[in-house]
Amino acid sequence: MTLSPLKTEFVGDKGAVFRLALKTGLLTVVTLGFYRFWMKTRLRRYYWSAVRPGGAPFEYLGQPLEKLLGFLVAVVFMAFYIGVVNLLLMFVSFSLFQGNFVAYGLSFVGILPIIFFAQYRARRYVLARTRWRGIRFGLEPGAWGYAWRAALYWTLTILTAGLLWPLKAFALEKYRTDRTYFGSLRLHQGGRWTMLLRAMRPLYTAAGLSILGAVMLYLSENPAWMLVFLLSVPWGIYGLAFWRADSFRRLSETKELGGARLTSAPRAGRVVGIYAGGYGLIYLCISGVLMAALALVAIIAALGVSMNPDAILNGDFSSIPGWVATMIGVLTYFTVFVLWDVFHHAFVKVPMVEHFAIETALVDAQNLSDVHQRDRDEFAEAEGFADALDVGAAL
Amino acid sequence: MTPDAQEQHLFAQFVNGRDARWQRVELHVTPTALRITRPDGARIEWPFDSLRRAPDQAGRDGIVLSQAGDKLARLVLKGKGPAEQIAGLAPNLTQRPPFENLGRLLKWSAAALASVAVIIFFLVPVMANQLAEFLPPEGEKALGDTTFEQIRVALDQTGLDPVQVCDRPEGAAALAKMEVRLNPYSDLPYPIRVQVLDHPMVNAFALPGGRVILFKGLIHAAEAPEELAAVLAHEIGHVVARDPTRDALRSAGSIGVLGLLFGDFAGGTVVLFLANQLINASYSQDAETGADTYAHALLEQAGLPPSALGTMFQRLKDKHGDAEGIIAHFASHPQLEDRISAALAADTGEAPERPVLDSDEWEALRQICGEAPARIPEPTRDIPPLKEPKAPDVVPSVKKG
Repeated sequence: MTLSPLKTEFVGDKGAVFRLALKTGLLTVVTLGFYRFWMKTRLRRYYWSAVRPGGAPFEYLGQPLEKLLGFLVAVVFMAFYIGVVNLLLMFVSFSLFQGNFVAYGLSFVGILPIIFFAQYRARRYVLARTRWRGIRFGLEPGAWGYAWRAALYWTLTILTAGLLWPLKAFALEKYRTDRTYFGSLRLHQGGRWTMLLRAMRPLYTAAGLSILGAVMLYLSENPAWMLVFLLSVPWGIYGLAFWRADSFRRLSETKELGGARLTSAPRAGRVVGIYAGGYGLIYLCISGVLMAALALVAIIAALGVSMNPDAILNGDFSSIPGWVATMIGVLTYFTVFVLWDVFHHAFVKVPMVEHFAIETALVDAQNLSDVHQRDRDEFAEAEGFADALDVGAAL
Repeated sequence: MTPDAQEQHLFAQFVNGRDARWQRVELHVTPTALRITRPDGARIEWPFDSLRRAPDQAGRDGIVLSQAGDKLARLVLKGKGPAEQIAGLAPNLTQRPPFENLGRLLKWSAAALASVAVIIFFLVPVMANQLAEFLPPEGEKALGDTTFEQIRVALDQTGLDPVQVCDRPEGAAALAKMEVRLNPYSDLPYPIRVQVLDHPMVNAFALPGGRVILFKGLIHAAEAPEELAAVLAHEIGHVVARDPTRDALRSAGSIGVLGLLFGDFAGGTVVLFLANQLINASYSQDAETGADTYAHALLEQAGLPPSALGTMFQRLKDKHGDAEGIIAHFASHPQLEDRISAALAADTGEAPERPVLDSDEWEALRQICGEAPARIPEPTRDIPPLKEPKAPDVVPSVKKG
């Protein structure tokens, strides 16, 4: 019987993820998007295998072609909705309201339940293709039950201006967790939704501060209240990071699997640091790439006769012929698009996954060895609907 | 393999895929296989040629091995040395099992293509044609405004060269005079709104709700105001027939479906825009003939020669006969000859009693965007096909057929 906690190792590496994301991202652009199924699969394999509770890596076994198949299945059903229903909505919206915003709004509301449905199905697919210590995870069917609950809790959250966000977060997490299996063992989400109220505290106080500041500024015109209002912004950002870390901790520590439990201690300060550092680096790198592109254009201009390099470096592009401008524009667009994703993986996702992984450990796991394998969940639709709606699960 | 290496004790972690035990096992390299000795002493052998390596795994050293045919058991080796040693012995490490559902994949591919094709080429056009009849004038105008902004954005893809609306007052007055002379108002539930875009393309198109867009390049390509008036009359013909409304509704339906197909891999916009161009490239032959016929009548009623439409087409054909891009489609097509002769046939042969614009007004219109070239410019060759606008339509009938 081992009683020491199984700590989680993280063996991922920014450089490796950078290379993998760059390679697969470029292939995705070159194939007009169809390589995205391979890209997603390969990146997941990497991340999964990097996270190793008790030294044992997760393994992701999803296949690109089954994702393509699932996507095609979703297209058959969704094309009708997107084409015909959207056309009708557009017609009604322009006829009655002289604008397309009503159509977009209705179309979005109409598709929300399908989005929730798709998210649950995508989670089922991902869990069914995830193994740890050779044992499959699984998620019971229940996508429609999830969809109406999600719609209900989201409505409550919006109606209360976000005050009931913890209720929504807890209820949906419990619905998912209680239907999750590790092999023959079922997970259980304990705790109550009110425990998440504390995780929201900085966000609540930030919201309170900004309302107070705005109201008092309006009433008294004393500029000191401006300071209070401005202060609520960084406090709110910290609040978001605190929610992320603390809600994860509380929800993890109240999960239970055959007597085994999780301990978790992610830190809000570190989460803020990863975001600030990560996005700062992304900003620097993308700017660098753009500057290099601009310099390249100026060099080409200096070699040719028709363009004016000095003007280009000063931001005056009128001397660039139309087709060159178009080509540069298209190339820059795709480069920035791909690089954004690549840098985001390397500078934000990797450190974030690492932090949450190494701060989480499994305790009292001695019964887990008795877990038996569960049958393969064929699930040919894969995450097709989520992919078609572009609401895929994280990673 | 030296005897020494065979004596080495290699260790790895093993999972059998039936239960969750994470076992430390000892490995031995035999001449043909990897022998795995479990803690209870049980031995299994994985022949080297059956070893497979899990792809895209994290960790600088170490590998995850499985055996072909066994989907569950795994061997996790840590450390560079052992991993490389085993990898050197196994010839088929990177071989993948074949995909089992190929038939199904093909079936659903066909179904997805068929579904998209039926919706884009049949259902959406049929519905758009029907709905366009019922869209109230205010709705049409709103649709036109939205589409106009989208087109301006699309023309400005590079972000380097925003397309301006030209509105020098003298030129605008001349344009208004031309419009009043044509006097199409009895046919329309809303006023016509003519705008000039500062863009070298030789083109013009109509949008829902009475918007007509002329490109600067077209104004400069016309040699007489009557020719421009003829093109304007042709575009008004499209507006009266509600062709642009049909087209806009059609693209509203099909653009989302294409977005679905291509996913959001690059914001989707560029590919979407291009793909939608291909599908929505033109009005039908009938719509073009209809707009021409309407233009002939309108010109005649205004005391202007319908043949100007033919002259304009002929000039574009002569000028840009070998040019690239849109003009090529337009100039090489025999249908154009028909349109030219139809325009000439519709002419009564009488010269206009009074020109549509006097020479000062015509010069003002030519300079509506600023300094105009003194003479008609050579074909502009630097227009990329990318910049083709939605439903480019002096050109259009030609693309079909």
